[in-house]
Amino acid sequence: MINATKKWIFLKLSSLVLLPLMLWFLFNLVSFYDKSYEELLLFFTSQPTKLLFSLLIIFAYFYSALSITEVFEDYIESEKLKNVANKSLFLFAIIMPILTLLLLYKLSL
Amino acid sequence: MKENNPLSPHIQIYSWHISSLVSICHRITGILNIIILTLICFWVATLLFLIPNYSLIQNFFGSFFGKFIVIGTVWSFSFQILSEIRHLFWDFGIGFELRTANITGLLVIFGSFIMTITIFILGRGLI
Repeated sequence: MINATKKWIFLKLSSLVLLPLMLWFLFNLVSFYDKSYEELLLFFTSQPTKLLFSLLIIFAYFYSALSITEVFEDYIESEKLKNVANKSLFLFAIIMPILTLLLLYKLSL
Repeated sequence: MKENNPLSPHIQIYSWHISSLVSICHRITGILNIIILTLICFWVATLLFLIPNYSLIQNFFGSFFGKFIVIGTVWSFSFQILSEIRHLFWDFGIGFELRTANITGLLVIFGSFIMTITIFILGRGLI
């Protein structure tokens, strides 16, 4: 299987996982965004929120990184610049979910 | 080895169609969503690092600009959800006819606004 096919399959699978997670998050976002510190802390540290939010962050960064590389492919001419942009994006998409999950874990302690 | 892939033409030379509008918006909201996602991660971080001053964030969300950001987030995510569903149908070879593609394009555009309003009303318990 060539890399482009693998990328397409990963993109489609992650989008299928993301659809219900995004809907779940949006409903919760509008009901919780202006709540107090204690209410938000309880929301983010209780289950199943912790699990669903972790999955959302992981899959959303994974999906975003894969889809934004397509934009880079279409609009960046320089191969060197494209490589730097792709590597920076993937690094960012790995570091941000890890840091957020660590924060969530720390919040739960 | 230098690859000579053709680049997409600049968007200003296209004549505007529903399909191109949805395609461009899909890309813009895709980039917007990773920025929003990062802001959401920072929001979670404020819960840990701004414990005594969290009321600052709460006040921001209560302001007009804060509400605008939240509604914008819901719209951007809603647009991506509907547009991605359209893409998934295309992946199964459904909806490529010009008329169908135009109708589904309109459904994505208007549907994203309807979905934003519906999520806001239901999420806030206004009904």
